[in-house]
Amino acid sequence: MKDPIIRRIVALFAAVAAVLIVVAVVALRNVARATAGSDWVNQTHAAILELGSLRGAFLASDAALRTLVVSGVEQDEAACRETMADLSENLEVVRALLRSDAAAAPAVERLDALAAGRAKLTRDAVAARRGGRPDEIRALLLADTAAGVTAEVRRIVEKLKTEQMALLAARDSQAYLQAQTTRWTVGTGVAFNFILLGLAGWLVWDDVRARRRAAAVLREANDQLETKVRERTAELAKANDVLRAENLERAWGTQALEHQLRYNELIVNSITDLVFVLTKAQNISRINPAVTHVTGFETKELVNRPLQELVRLGSGGRAGPGDPLAQALREGRDYREAEAFVKDRNGREVAVSFMLFPLRDRDRVVGGVVILRTLSVA
Amino acid sequence: MAILLAPGPASALTLRELLDDKALTPKRFASHFAEFDYEFGADVLPADVFLTRRKGDCDDYAVLAGHVLRHHGQTPRLIHVRMVGRVAHAVCYVTEAKAYLDYNNRKYAINVERSGASLRQIATQVAESFKANWTSVSEFTYTYEEDRKRFGVTVVKTDSPASDPDRNPPSAKAAR
Repeated sequence: MKDPIIRRIVALFAAVAAVLIVVAVVALRNVARATAGSDWVNQTHAAILELGSLRGAFLASDAALRTLVVSGVEQDEAACRETMADLSENLEVVRALLRSDAAAAPAVERLDALAAGRAKLTRDAVAARRGGRPDEIRALLLADTAAGVTAEVRRIVEKLKTEQMALLAARDSQAYLQAQTTRWTVGTGVAFNFILLGLAGWLVWDDVRARRRAAAVLREANDQLETKVRERTAELAKANDVLRAENLERAWGTQALEHQLRYNELIVNSITDLVFVLTKAQNISRINPAVTHVTGFETKELVNRPLQELVRLGSGGRAGPGDPLAQALREGRDYREAEAFVKDRNGREVAVSFMLFPLRDRDRVVGGVVILRTLSVA
Repeated sequence: MAILLAPGPASALTLRELLDDKALTPKRFASHFAEFDYEFGADVLPADVFLTRRKGDCDDYAVLAGHVLRHHGQTPRLIHVRMVGRVAHAVCYVTEAKAYLDYNNRKYAINVERSGASLRQIATQVAESFKANWTSVSEFTYTYEEDRKRFGVTVVKTDSPASDPDRNPPSAKAAR
């Protein structure tokens, strides 16, 4: 739910659901009201019909009574009872149907009284007929006619029917308005829901569009990155090739140098002259095998020892003041002497010719090379 | 020979047989009428006429059911339901079974319809079977000897149920 668009859509759908619930509740309530209204309309219709039947039952009972008086047969007496039963049923139903209408109560009571009078009249007439008293029957019927019962029933029934018709019209209008309200409620709710759904749809569409745009930008950035990576990879590969070539050349150079050094060493080691490499302080740093061969000293015994411990110049240093070897090295020049002596392991001296060559590194004297050549014994 | 062996028409059910059937229940009673036909009549037919002719209407059926079941110690109530645009329909409610017998259900396996005991509940269920609205419902009595319907309590649909005259209908025990 961190995505605001989802929050908005959920809120919209919640609103749609709320509207749906409200519409459903209102519609159900309206349907219940419409059903109740329809029941009232039906009830009023039933009351109007039943009032018509009641009037008919009054007339039928009157006619049956007069027929019985005239004919005097048993079947007509039964018919008379049936019409009274019908009248009683009609009256019972009318009473029930108009029970809720207080204004109609006096009229219904009057109809009740008239029906009771009709029942009493019928009973009295039947009794008089059975008792063979035709004058009494005639008197009863004349009294009934004079009382105008039938006309009064007609008036009361018509009045009640008129009232019921007015009620029917009012209830029908109410039902119509109820239906209109239901239509309006449902229509408005559905329209509102469509608007909300449209809004939700627009939000989704807008979000999808934004996401597509973001995806396109990301794709473009990825493409650019890939191009850069490809370019950088190509550069690295090129540099790697150059390095590999340089390494190869360097390896070849190193190999050539090693060969050169080995050849130089072979050359130095193969000559029979005694070769000493000196430091600037005239200490021995290297010798060739000819030194060991002539003196009997091993390399490790001579390294770092001063040359003067092994070699004595023939002039004894008399050629000038100070050390002539140090002077030659300082001045960076060769120094030769026709005769010098080198001591062997047993202390014997061997006559040699002496040559010193300064060792230079970038025009700076860092040491020297001494070559002693043995002189043949005469 | 074949004519002699062929089964003859089933002998008509009689009122006596119904009254003497010790095992008679509302359902068993209704099962006897599965093959009866419908024919409307303004008056209630005498029981034997209805049984012999094997045709009648809801009044004939309900009145006969009430007569027979009362003989068997049940507490039947005759109910008249008035619906919009239709002839009033009669059923026989049997308090012990908490169900009513309806001539329209005589052909079905479920030939007694369970219902609450109040007139409003019965009328609602009956009207539902017609897919119709009822307007009023009455309880009535009838005896073959008197041949006259006597209407008692009437309930109107639009009245508040709380004010129904039969809002406390009699239970089976109380009815006995």
